[in-house]
Amino acid sequence: MATLIIVTVAVLFLGAILTGGYNQRFLDRVKNSVVWDYITTVDHKKIAHLYYFAGIFYFVVGGIEALLIRTQLISPGSQFLTGDAYNQVITMHGTTMIFFAAMPLFFGLMNAILPLQIGARDVAFPFLNNFGFWLFFFGALLTNLSWFLGGAPDAGWTSYTSLALNEFSPGPGIDYYVLGLQISGIGTLISAINFIVTVINMRAPGMTFLRMPMFTWTTFVSSLLILFAFPALTVGLLLLMFDRLFGSNFFDHSMGGSHLIWQHLFWIFGHPEVYIVILPAFGIISDVVSTFSKKRLFGYNSMVFATAVIGFLGFMVWVHHMFTVGLGPVSNSIFGVATMAIAVPTGIKVFNWLFTMWGGEIRFNTAMLFALGFIPTFVMGGVTGVMVALPAADFQFQDSYFVVAHFHYTLIGGTVMAIFAGSYYWWPKMFGRKLNETLGKWHFWTFLIGFHLTFLPQHWLGLFGMPRRVFTYNDVPALANINLVSSIGVIGMAVGTLIFAINILQSFMKKADASADPWNGRTLEWAVPSPAPVYNFKQLPLIRAFDQFWVSKQTGKEIEPAEPLGSIHMPSSTYLPFLMSLALFIAGFGFITRGFAMAAVGLILFFITMYIRSYEHDPGYHIEPEQLKGAEKEAKA
Amino acid sequence: MEKENGANVHNKSQTLRYVIAFAVMVVLTVIAFYLVATNVVTVQLLVPILLILATVQVILQLYFFMHLDQKGSGFPILFMFTGAIAAVVSAVGIILM
Amino acid sequence: MAQQEKTETMEHLESATLEGKNKVLGFWLFLAAETVLFACLFGTYLALKGRNMGGPTAQELFDLTLVAVATGLLLTSSLTSVLAVNAMNLRKLKGVIFWLVVTVLLGLGFLILEIYEFIHYTHMGHTFVSSAFGSAFYTLVGTHGAHVTFGLFWIVGLIIQVAQRGITKETAPKVFLSTLYWHFIDVVWVFIFTLVYLLGKVG
Repeated sequence: MATLIIVTVAVLFLGAILTGGYNQRFLDRVKNSVVWDYITTVDHKKIAHLYYFAGIFYFVVGGIEALLIRTQLISPGSQFLTGDAYNQVITMHGTTMIFFAAMPLFFGLMNAILPLQIGARDVAFPFLNNFGFWLFFFGALLTNLSWFLGGAPDAGWTSYTSLALNEFSPGPGIDYYVLGLQISGIGTLISAINFIVTVINMRAPGMTFLRMPMFTWTTFVSSLLILFAFPALTVGLLLLMFDRLFGSNFFDHSMGGSHLIWQHLFWIFGHPEVYIVILPAFGIISDVVSTFSKKRLFGYNSMVFATAVIGFLGFMVWVHHMFTVGLGPVSNSIFGVATMAIAVPTGIKVFNWLFTMWGGEIRFNTAMLFALGFIPTFVMGGVTGVMVALPAADFQFQDSYFVVAHFHYTLIGGTVMAIFAGSYYWWPKMFGRKLNETLGKWHFWTFLIGFHLTFLPQHWLGLFGMPRRVFTYNDVPALANINLVSSIGVIGMAVGTLIFAINILQSFMKKADASADPWNGRTLEWAVPSPAPVYNFKQLPLIRAFDQFWVSKQTGKEIEPAEPLGSIHMPSSTYLPFLMSLALFIAGFGFITRGFAMAAVGLILFFITMYIRSYEHDPGYHIEPEQLKGAEKEAKA
Repeated sequence: MEKENGANVHNKSQTLRYVIAFAVMVVLTVIAFYLVATNVVTVQLLVPILLILATVQVILQLYFFMHLDQKGSGFPILFMFTGAIAAVVSAVGIILM
Repeated sequence: MAQQEKTETMEHLESATLEGKNKVLGFWLFLAAETVLFACLFGTYLALKGRNMGGPTAQELFDLTLVAVATGLLLTSSLTSVLAVNAMNLRKLKGVIFWLVVTVLLGLGFLILEIYEFIHYTHMGHTFVSSAFGSAFYTLVGTHGAHVTFGLFWIVGLIIQVAQRGITKETAPKVFLSTLYWHFIDVVWVFIFTLVYLLGKVG
C-alpha cells in the first residue's frame, strides 16, 4: 500500500518536473510567491535567513527539552519524566542542540557574512548552497518526526553500541537518529566544501589570506574540520544502520564485532565537531571585540596561527572521550598530553582579545556584552576541560555531572553566547534593522545569570558523585539542594530566550531603515547597504590593507573599485535541490520503517534528479549597469 | 608550438608520460603480487614493502594521472596530504585500539 | 605574453572559467573527504578481518589470479580515462568519446568479475551476516564497488552529453571531474588489493 502511494507520488513528481505544471495562472502565482522564492533561492543571503531561523526553531525545541530535564531533576524521586521517556528527552536535547541548532545558526551567519567579508558576490556553488540547506532541513525533520512516529532515539546523543543495537533498542528511535543525521550530515559536508572553495578562489583582488577578517578565517578552518571529520560519522552511521537493518556484525561481540569501533568512529568525528562549533564563535568574538573596542585586533597573525593549530590538534585528541574504556596507560597518556596542549593556542586567543580591549574605546552594547560574557565563561569551561584532560582524574569525572558542567560552560558560554553576539552585531546587515538594545540587555543579563545559576552548581554535583543521564538521585541534602538551584537557573535562560524572541519579532515590525554601517565597523560587510543588494557589490573592491574599510574611512576616501561598472552575472533559482532532498527524506523514511521498496524509490528519484541536473543548461541571468545606476539614483533622490 | 586549436607538441608528449607512468604502475603491481604468490619474503618484511609499493603507485596516480604535477595544484596537494594524515591517524587509531 | 596565456587556458579547458576552477578545487576537497571515509572503512576491516567465527578465512577465500585480472582491468581503465582528458585538451571529440567508452567497458568488466567473486564467496559460506569479517569485507569492497557503479553511470551520462554538445567550457570540467573520480577509485583499489587481498593471502 505504502509502495503504491509512493510510486504514485513519484510519477506525479516526475510529471511536474517534466511538464512544468498544467495551470499557467496558478503556476505564475506560485512562482512569484515568497515561499517559492525561498525554496528555490540560490542567494547566499536568503539561504542564510533559512538556516538562521531553522536554527532558532531547533534551539527552542532543544531548550524545551532542557526545561523538561531540569523539571524532572528539580527534586529527588520526581515522577514527572522517568525511564525511557527521560532517555529520549536527553538524547534529543543533545542531538538537536548540536546538529540542528548550533550548526545551522553558524551556517546562517557564515552564509550571510562570509562572501561580504571577502568581497565576493556569492559563494562558489550557489546550487549546492541551496542543496545543503534542504538536506539539513529534511534530516532534522526526519529525526524529529521520531517523537510522533514510534519514539525518539534514547541511547544518548553519542548513541553507543551495544546499547544502540536492536537487542537493547528494538524500536525505530535509533533508526531515526541514524538516517536523520546521515542526511543532514551530507548537507553539512557540502556546505563546508562550498565555504572552503569560496575563500580560496573568490576573494576580491588584494584580499590576501592574511587580510581576511577572523570570522572568515575561523569559518575556513572550521569547514576544513567538517571536511575531514564528518566522513568518520558517515561511516559510523552507515555501519550502525547495517547492523540494525541488515544483520551485519560490526558491533556485535557474539559474531566477532567490537563495540569500541563505534566509539572510535564517533569520537574521531565528535571531537573535531566541538571545535567546529567553537572556532566560528572565536571568529565572531574577534570581530565584535575589535569593532566595539574601536581598535585593531591584537596579534592577528598569532590568532590565525592559533586557529590553525587548534584545528590540527583537534584531530589528535579523540581518545580523551574514551579514557575509561581500557585502552591502557600509553594511549591515555599520549591523548591526555595532546588534549592539554590545545589549551595553549586557545589561551593565546583569550589574551589577544583582552589586549585588543586594553587601551580601546569600549562601547557596551548588547553584542559587546555577550562577547564580554563569553570570555570568562568560556575560560571557566576551558579550565575544567584541562582538569578532565588528565586521564587519572578523568577516571573520577567520567560520566558525572562534572563533565556536563564542563561542556555546557564551553557550549553555552562559548557557542551560544557568541551566536547571540553575532546576531545582535549582524542583524542590520542581514535584515536591514537593528535589534532593540534595551531588550538586548535584559536578554543578556537574565540569560547570563540563569546560565551560571544552572551550571556552576553542577560541578559540585559531579564531585559529590551524581552520574549523568540519570532521571533521579538519592534524597540527600547535598544532591537535592544543588539540583534545586540548578533547575531554578533555567528560568533565567528561558526568560532570556523569550526576550530574544520578542526582540526578533518586534524588529520585523519596524521599517527596514538601518544604515550600511551602523556600528562604525572595520570589515567589508559594512561597505554595502543594509541589507546587502542581491549582487552584493556594484563593483568588486580593491583591497590594499587589513581592515580596508576602516582604513578607507580614516583617510576619508571610498574603497577603490577593482573593476569597471559592468553587467553582473547572477545564477538562476532552482527547485531541483529541494526535490533531491525530499527524495533522500523519502528514502530515509523507507529505511526506518523497513519499507525497502519506498527506500529504493527514494534513492532512484534522487539519482534521476541528479541526472536531470547534469543535463540542465541554465546559464543564469545578468543585471545590467543601467539597473544598478537606476537604483543608485532612487537612493539619492 | 602550434596554437590554432590548442593542440600542440606539449599535449602529444603528455600521452607518452601517461603510458610510461602506467607501465611503472603495472610493474609495481606485478612485483606486489609476485612477492605474495611466491612467499619469498617473511610477513614482517612483507607488510612494509607492500605498503611502500602501494604508496608509490598512489603518488604516481596523483601526480601523473590526476594532474597534480601541473601548476595551480598547491591547494589540492595540501588537502590530499592533510586528508591522508587524518586518514592514517584514524585508521591506525581504530586498528590499534 | 597573451599568446602564452591563451595556450595555457586552451590546454586546460576545464579550468578556463571561474566556475571550472571552483568545480575542480571543490572536487579535490570531496576526494580528500572520501580519503578519510575509506580510511575508516579500512580501519574497521583491518580490525575485524580475523573474526571469521569459524567460517572461511581470507587465505582460503581469495584467489590471486582473479584479483590480478580485476586490478589489471581497473588500472588500464585509469590510463584510458586520462587519455580521454588528453584528447579533450587536444579538442579531439572522437578521441574523448572513444577513450571514455573503453574506460566504461573496462570498468564494467571489473564490476562483473567482482559480482562473480562475491557470489562465489557466498556459496563458500562467507556472507555479509556470517561474521564480523564478512560484514567488514563486503562493506569495504562493496562500497568501492558502489563507487565504481556510480562512476560508470556518470561517465556514460557524460559520453552522451559530450556527443550532443561537444567539448565546451561547460562540458570540459564535467569530463575532467569524472576522470578525477575514476582515478581516485583506482587509488582506493590499490589499497584494497594490497591490504585486503595480498595481506589476506599471507595471513
